[in-house]
Amino acid sequence: MTEEEKRGLLTKMLQSIQDVIYGMASHDMARQALKTRGSMEHLFILITMGDLLGVPILPPYYSLRLLPYVVPQISTWKRRMLRERDLTDALA
Amino acid sequence: MAAIVLLVALIVVIFGYKFYAATIDRDVVQANPKKATPAVMYNDGVDFMPASGSVLFGYQFKSIAALGPIVGPIVAVQWGWLPAFLWLMLGVVFIGWVQDYAAAMMAMRNEGLTMGGLAYKFISPRARGILLSFLYFYLLLIMGAFGAVVAGLLANPVVPIGLLILTLAGVLAGQMTYRWKMDLVMTTIVTVFIALVGIWIGTTTPAQHIVQWINGLAGTGPKHVLYQTPYGPMTWPVFFWGIVALAFCYLGSVLAIWRFAQPVNYVSFWFVALGLVGSVLGVFIAAIFHTTDVAFKIPAFVTWNQPKLGWLWPMLFVTISCGAISGWHSLVSTAGTARQLEKETDALPVGAGAMFTEAILATLAVIFAATALTKGDTVIYDAQNLYALKMGAGGVWMYGMSRFLSWIPGISPAMGGAIGAIFLAVMALTVMQLVLRFMRVASAELVGDKIPAFKNPHVGTIVAILFTFLILWTAFWQRIWVLFGGANQLFAGLALLLITIWLANEGKKHNWAFWPAVFMYATTVAALLVVAWKSFKAMMAPNTAVAFAIGNAVAGLIGFFLALAAIVLAVDGLKSLAKARAKAAAHAGD
Repeated sequence: MTEEEKRGLLTKMLQSIQDVIYGMASHDMARQALKTRGSMEHLFILITMGDLLGVPILPPYYSLRLLPYVVPQISTWKRRMLRERDLTDALA
Repeated sequence: MAAIVLLVALIVVIFGYKFYAATIDRDVVQANPKKATPAVMYNDGVDFMPASGSVLFGYQFKSIAALGPIVGPIVAVQWGWLPAFLWLMLGVVFIGWVQDYAAAMMAMRNEGLTMGGLAYKFISPRARGILLSFLYFYLLLIMGAFGAVVAGLLANPVVPIGLLILTLAGVLAGQMTYRWKMDLVMTTIVTVFIALVGIWIGTTTPAQHIVQWINGLAGTGPKHVLYQTPYGPMTWPVFFWGIVALAFCYLGSVLAIWRFAQPVNYVSFWFVALGLVGSVLGVFIAAIFHTTDVAFKIPAFVTWNQPKLGWLWPMLFVTISCGAISGWHSLVSTAGTARQLEKETDALPVGAGAMFTEAILATLAVIFAATALTKGDTVIYDAQNLYALKMGAGGVWMYGMSRFLSWIPGISPAMGGAIGAIFLAVMALTVMQLVLRFMRVASAELVGDKIPAFKNPHVGTIVAILFTFLILWTAFWQRIWVLFGGANQLFAGLALLLITIWLANEGKKHNWAFWPAVFMYATTVAALLVVAWKSFKAMMAPNTAVAFAIGNAVAGLIGFFLALAAIVLAVDGLKSLAKARAKAAAHAGD
């Protein structure tokens, strides 16, 4: 193994250890923060564009102006809103 | 001896991972690194978010390692250290990793469904309903079992002040991170330092006097006995600190997660890491430099039948759960990990790897227990009485930490013990908060339509806490532990049955999951029925006070219900398995 390969391997190992520590210490916190943000975003889309799911919220002019920004998220948002949930999801 | 046992454990887990687990992953399940996982496909930023394998390994290990790998072995060495160690090694190699890994794969290949959804899909709608009610009682037992250990720990004068200051440091960490938007490294340094100083303060004489004053507020005699139970005295300190522990969990359940539960968990992680790494190294250092006595004092084999626990089969296999096999892990693997795996080939190092690592933690607990017969004048395991455990399992762990951590400069035996206690208390309280949060949601979902009060988060939480108190204050904690272990292992059997049915539906070899499922089912149903019978017997003993009769009745009914639910699920499951096998045979014939 060349010196460069050894250094590369050491870097990879250190990165993995760092990731494991992050996973144990902070990943849950980061995930909860992202989940909160995601939930609020999806709630906002539901309030402004609920008509897309069949909820009788007719988007006013100002909501429709937001449509270009919302379009990239519509498919994942719809899937999440309509996905069947189970009680064991609360453990996630 | 301790170092040899730890080395053997390391070799066994490495071989188990490399030669058995890796073969199944490659040749049977055929994990495909190029196949898109639900985390990558859906990536909705809420339920499905990909994360790297290393990060998930840390997350999985932290989620699955709680009191189980520590308390279980400490209790189980009463049969001898060898049966406990053998069950850990054989269990993790042939059963434990199978469940953790395959549950994650099964959920991942079924659009990230969790256990309820998987039971609905592979067994029947009835199976899902039974599983969810099973889950409620199983989680109630977690509250009782963990609560009993934490109450005992907090009654030790060196623990509560340190835990209180650590909690406040955690709340500060949440404020600093989420409200003041401060750098995480700075927040970590400040709050971990505060917590460390707090733990040290807790070991000082004035702090211990404060706790001793609280411990002496009620009760009679030198131990402050409040009332007698059929299993020994209920002391005021355990009674009081049980209330404090549950108040802590109440806050964790009802407050916003970023305000209390998460940041406290984050700060305490650093002490868990210190304890783990420090004590593993401490065992080897003690063996080489004789810094502490590592000779095993408990015999390799003590007895087939421990009077308070029962026969080695089936009771050993439910006394030690996490570390060998645990149903809780299937919940973590399906609800959490499967929705974050970036590629299928990560499931092995994450699921199986974390499980094998937990087995090492459990081996550490065996070593702590087997090397400690007495602590000064206090008997830990009574050599005159079949090595019956005379101290709380938390106390044994504390004593082990105090011996094996004190090689680190600056950490005295008292400080090491306090770190060990906080390590254990925090691991228990983290799970208890999550459980209470789930029970609140479950109450609202299951009963909220009929009794609207349960939709209020406080009502659901308080009802769950009251049930916990009932179990905590009236039943024998080693019996609650075994009942919890039985429920936990039965959940594992259920998960393995689901995995078997999934594999059969896919036309894959499934005996590597089926026979572990059969073993777990047979063992745990037997154990639950034994415990239920003992609880009913205790309930009907002459001159039993009403409260204990009720506590034992509740414990007995839960045990009986769980065994019955498992049998019904098994019948439905085996029917589904037979259909899947018939379908696979028909396809093979084509």
